[in-house]
Amino acid sequence: MRRWLLWFLLVPQGFLLAGFWRDVGLPAIDAAVLCCLFLALFADRNALPWLLLGVAIGRALVDEASLPVQILVLGVPTAVLVPMRRLFSGQHWAWQALAASLCAVTIPKLAGLCGRLFDQPSASAHLDGYAVLRAALLVPPLLFVVRRLPPCRYFSEVV
Amino acid sequence: MSGAWGVRKKPAAFPVGLYSMLLFALCWLTLPAVFAPVERWLVGCACLVPRTLSAWFGEPAAARAPEAQQRLQELSAELRRRIAEHDVAGASKLLPATYEPICCAVLDAPRDKARRGGGGQPGELRLDHSYAEVDGCCELVTKGNALLGFLQRPGVGIADGDRPQDPARVMLCNHRAARPVYAEMSMPEGAAMHLVVAAAAAVDPAPLRADLWEDPYRAARLGRGGQPVHTETVADATVLVPSGLELGRTRVWGYEQHGADEAVAIGVYVVPPVEPRALSFVVLWRQAAGPRAAGPPELRSGQVQRLPATVYDLPGVAYGRHLLVVGQAVPDGAAVVDNGLFLGTARGLAFGTGLMTSFIASRHRWSLILMPDDPRERPRELEGEILRTEHDDAWLRWCSDRWSTAHERLLPGYLFTGSNGACCPAGLWIGRAEPHPYEHDLLRVTTPRERGPRAAQVLVAGGRT
Repeated sequence: MRRWLLWFLLVPQGFLLAGFWRDVGLPAIDAAVLCCLFLALFADRNALPWLLLGVAIGRALVDEASLPVQILVLGVPTAVLVPMRRLFSGQHWAWQALAASLCAVTIPKLAGLCGRLFDQPSASAHLDGYAVLRAALLVPPLLFVVRRLPPCRYFSEVV
Repeated sequence: MSGAWGVRKKPAAFPVGLYSMLLFALCWLTLPAVFAPVERWLVGCACLVPRTLSAWFGEPAAARAPEAQQRLQELSAELRRRIAEHDVAGASKLLPATYEPICCAVLDAPRDKARRGGGGQPGELRLDHSYAEVDGCCELVTKGNALLGFLQRPGVGIADGDRPQDPARVMLCNHRAARPVYAEMSMPEGAAMHLVVAAAAAVDPAPLRADLWEDPYRAARLGRGGQPVHTETVADATVLVPSGLELGRTRVWGYEQHGADEAVAIGVYVVPPVEPRALSFVVLWRQAAGPRAAGPPELRSGQVQRLPATVYDLPGVAYGRHLLVVGQAVPDGAAVVDNGLFLGTARGLAFGTGLMTSFIASRHRWSLILMPDDPRERPRELEGEILRTEHDDAWLRWCSDRWSTAHERLLPGYLFTGSNGACCPAGLWIGRAEPHPYEHDLLRVTTPRERGPRAAQVLVAGGRT
């Protein structure tokens, strides 16, 4: 129970923390890509739906689209990557960088698609090449740290 | 790799639970009203942390300086005066002198598929006046010299479920149930041809369609479009429509003339001069006992209630997201204003909080009004969306009414909200707008932005300011 409380308390605020990080002039980190990658590669599969809900709530704080759109935008790349976990069995940095850049491309594209389909456009639908590069370079080392910290640590799957 | 809390699992092939959650999200999107309280509560809970911390963000800034407030009020009054003047002009010359105009604001132009009219555009409007308030008005609804549609009566036709105290409904000419209109088209060679103009299908390339021609053989040889189409009075018609009201210009689908082969028109459509999605004000006409009063009619203030609120910047505020503390429930899409200055729209959450997206960060399609600096120019009703934002400036792609000539550049001026729903009325000042130097459909919008917490008001439908 405690781990779930921590998840729903801390993870949504992580999106605001990423905004604070950007405000102080540090290189912007896409919290959505970071969370998506954690869910896809390291999170407990049985807990995935509720973990995804916590992440979607966080993204709904900083993005104009509604909560179900956030679930789709974050859930679809996660759902595609989860069955390919075996490919990432070595969890090599290069694979993680590749997965991070795929997420950094897919998330804005999905946000744009959902915006058009459900009439909920958002500013996050804009694809930025530098954001993809930053995701590939920064997300894997950050993920290495984050998954050893609570609450991610409590939901890491051991194969 | 993981600590004592790590979960040891046999790897399963597919995360069925995750797929179920995605399916659930799709159901959520198809029934948004059912799940709206859940969303308000979930996101509202997450907002409790920044709300608690907002005590450390500082005291809200005081209201704007009296001179700035005065300037905003003057601009708003100037906009209302110019709209009333330009909207009434045109039709007033064509209607009997005893008809007096009533300017009404548009509350909503429903865009759902069921109420979509010809050309896939909205076929109905809801006005800020109730049926009871416009009782005695004739059916004609105009703007400038254009015929827009017909005022409905409560309990009749598409308004059969409406009561007299409900907002009045206008059936636009492109509504599938709208009555055909007798019209006259100026032919390229100078003569005129009579025709009947009716609503086109939703999949057609224009909202109106030329239906019956006086001379189908001549009509079939129309090579190019662009001919003006005006209403024509027919003595035995059920509704007396005066001659000369503009219905639009023709758009011809067919084969152009090639050498000795004559042009063949397969379909002739009529493009109205007004973009329904951009409409913010329309004019109704009521027969008065005496002659029409001189000067434009007064525009009535919106029926909205102002809830006091405080706006706090969330981290990453450069991207336009703010925390709104109101103390009571806020409807989605409600306008947040600072003494006449439009800040953005709210998303209501539980516990008396909300999230506000500033205008320049929003990517919704907006109904807007541009008031050019030149006092002789008419205010332009636009529909537009923000393409990108640079600091406090935003680039807006717009489409305007078709009174504008092709590739006409807009003039610099002040940008106001148009009609964006009952909680976001027309006439709220947004900022300064300048046309792009090269691209005619882009406007640079500069908004005043202030950092830190500040007092604001949330506009909620109902009551009167």
